[in-house]
Amino acid sequence: MRVAIYSGNIPSTTFIENLIKNISSSGIKVLLFGKKFREVKYNENVEILDTPDSGLELLFFIIKESVKSIFRNPAKYLKTLRKIFTGDRGFKNKLKELGMMLPIINNQPDIFHIQWGKTLQKNPYLFELLSCRFALSLRGAHINYSPLNDNALAESYRKYFPVIDGFHAVSEAISAEAQKYGADSKKIKVIYSGVSDEFRNVKAEIRSDDSGMLKIISIGRYHWKKGYHYALDAMKILIKNGQEFKYTIVAQGEVPEEILFMLDDDELKSRVELKSGMPHEMLMKELSESDMLILPSVEEGIANVVLESMALGIPVISTDCGGMNEAISDGIDGFIVKVRDPELLAEKITELSNMKTDIKEKIILNARNKIKEKFSNENLKKGFVDFYASILKA
Amino acid sequence: MRIGLVLPEAPQYSETFFNLKIQGLKESGFDVILFTGSKNKKKSDLEIRSAYPVRKGNVFIQAFLYAYVLMKSFLFSPKRTLNLLKLESEDGKNFKECLKSVYINAHIFPEDIDILHFGFTTMALKRENTAKSMNALMSVSFRGYDINIYPLKNPGCYKKVWENTDKVHTISEYLRGKAVKYGLSENTPYKKITPAVDPDKFPQSEIRKEISVPVILTVGRLNWIKNYETAISAMKMLADDGVNFKYTIVGEGPETERLKFAVYQLGLRDKIIFAGKKSHDEVKDLMSKTDIYLQPSFEEGFCVSVLEAQAAGLMCIVSDAEGLKENIIDGKTGWIIAKRDFRSFKNKIKDVMEMNYERRKEISDNARSRIINEFKAEEQKKYFKEFFETMTKKA
Repeated sequence: MRVAIYSGNIPSTTFIENLIKNISSSGIKVLLFGKKFREVKYNENVEILDTPDSGLELLFFIIKESVKSIFRNPAKYLKTLRKIFTGDRGFKNKLKELGMMLPIINNQPDIFHIQWGKTLQKNPYLFELLSCRFALSLRGAHINYSPLNDNALAESYRKYFPVIDGFHAVSEAISAEAQKYGADSKKIKVIYSGVSDEFRNVKAEIRSDDSGMLKIISIGRYHWKKGYHYALDAMKILIKNGQEFKYTIVAQGEVPEEILFMLDDDELKSRVELKSGMPHEMLMKELSESDMLILPSVEEGIANVVLESMALGIPVISTDCGGMNEAISDGIDGFIVKVRDPELLAEKITELSNMKTDIKEKIILNARNKIKEKFSNENLKKGFVDFYASILKA
Repeated sequence: MRIGLVLPEAPQYSETFFNLKIQGLKESGFDVILFTGSKNKKKSDLEIRSAYPVRKGNVFIQAFLYAYVLMKSFLFSPKRTLNLLKLESEDGKNFKECLKSVYINAHIFPEDIDILHFGFTTMALKRENTAKSMNALMSVSFRGYDINIYPLKNPGCYKKVWENTDKVHTISEYLRGKAVKYGLSENTPYKKITPAVDPDKFPQSEIRKEISVPVILTVGRLNWIKNYETAISAMKMLADDGVNFKYTIVGEGPETERLKFAVYQLGLRDKIIFAGKKSHDEVKDLMSKTDIYLQPSFEEGFCVSVLEAQAAGLMCIVSDAEGLKENIIDGKTGWIIAKRDFRSFKNKIKDVMEMNYERRKEISDNARSRIINEFKAEEQKKYFKEFFETMTKKA
């Protein structure tokens, strides 16, 4: 079986790379199309069809692939030109798209697995030019909120979802969201992401806090959907209540004005530390030295950092957004609070910080078991093998 | 006296504040010339000099343009150009930066002016020595963005501006206070001149005998500092309490997606309307059908929309952002609520709904007469006249 994993970039995001690693190791042949930005080590089942995206390089590439294509199927080649060179996206963009499309046509997979919903709007001709099966992953913003403010995108979902042979949903919640745009529930399979072994193999100690200093951490890039402004509101409430704490945000990217503005406050400034993104091992250490992880988001698929935290044995308080309640059962293996409510978040932080050690241990144990059963790479691998098989069978 | 006004672009007809200011200055006998950015496309009755483009065509065209502009500046304004080079190099700029500085000031140098006034503080950046090298006085206006936002990512950016500014115009005491915190000398003379509103353009709305389904409004750009999320959360609580309402948000901006998602997530799509950008007349019409005006901002320089809402006699519920505390008199022309406290916003909306007609009428009348008496266009003109007439070189 040959499956193309299409995200546009090589390498792609952490979870897509994890997907490639897992399915290629189960014997499926994986094709990657797109621009290669840096060297990645894959196993022998992965084939990269690196596509230059500009300059003479692109021109030569197009000529080479065109010759191949004309020899194999001249009618198809002409159709491809016709499809790509209509519309007003600018000649440069069209050339780029031709460069992307030709190797796909010349190396057709059995299943073309699109990783991001927006591809449907950007490259709709895929469906007319390829005669293989199509799979689409339903992830985050592309489904949850982008179409709310972009009617053309919402339209493209309504138009092309019926053509998709199988959907992979990262959570039940996003599956329900996609059905609003016409995704057939029978064609959707929820496959949860897997937590890598490095998190599962160690267990963080519950810190003995002689100093009484509560250490709270959040991890994830700066974006409004991460809700850090609500977390900072909650911290203000903790200060008002006389709770001692230290709050660390580990996030990539430039600190947004909104956060800088909120931190222009002497009380908060002395208790909140912003750290920029860091490699995995350091992140694990940072996480292990915290009393709790909070996820103040307003939108998520299922946040991987929560799964990793649960695996590691750090208790989690998460807002009830996206698929988070599929990862956490409130009061059993973590805690869930309403979205957009700093008072409830602050209350829960205090409650957890006062919790007896044996109850905390029980919650941590439950969380680790949940990860082992529901969010392992073995499950992910099996999930995708079945998913692709069912698409080919249908 | 001739005043050079530096603005990003010529003010449009809707920008009352600058138009009134310029018109007032002209009526007072000042000669006004406008210096705008290179991209200015707007028309104006004023004399306009636009800056030379900083990025145009390829490297060669840009290099040629640079050479041409620099040569022209040296030939026709030799003294000013040399002064600027000297001042800039004294500030530790290298040769290339000094030449760049000449380039971005080259449209200003040929004009003889007595005062160079920067309509926004950010406009004075990289032009700190311009007035000095022309032997003119320098003044700046503080607007919300200049003081509340820009320095967050550019700490210390105004050091040179503070040093060289002879006088400051601020739209609120708060902004000036914050500028002092950021290093402006206490001794730099300043004058607070708030924006004015033409009460005829915002006639008083009728107060309804009873509010069962409140019509609520906010006008402003959809950016984080306006903090619409607090208003939306308050609406959610209102809906949970079984109150029916209609909330219209007028404006566009970078946070549209974020806010539309909030409304969707909280199940309020049938109650909250994003109306997009609206003209002055359309806003006036909306206000005439509105009961309650909300302004939940994180921070404001002053906020003209809240003035307009008071002129229209709406029930104004605003956050305790510093600039708004100077705008609304709590309990008299509206109400001030702790910022980001959506529960209190909701409670105040319910309070207003339950208030009797007389009380609401009283607030409405107070608000309207405050605008008529204290935010007159005539006063504003007078203040600006005084502002420039009494300007002297800083000691």
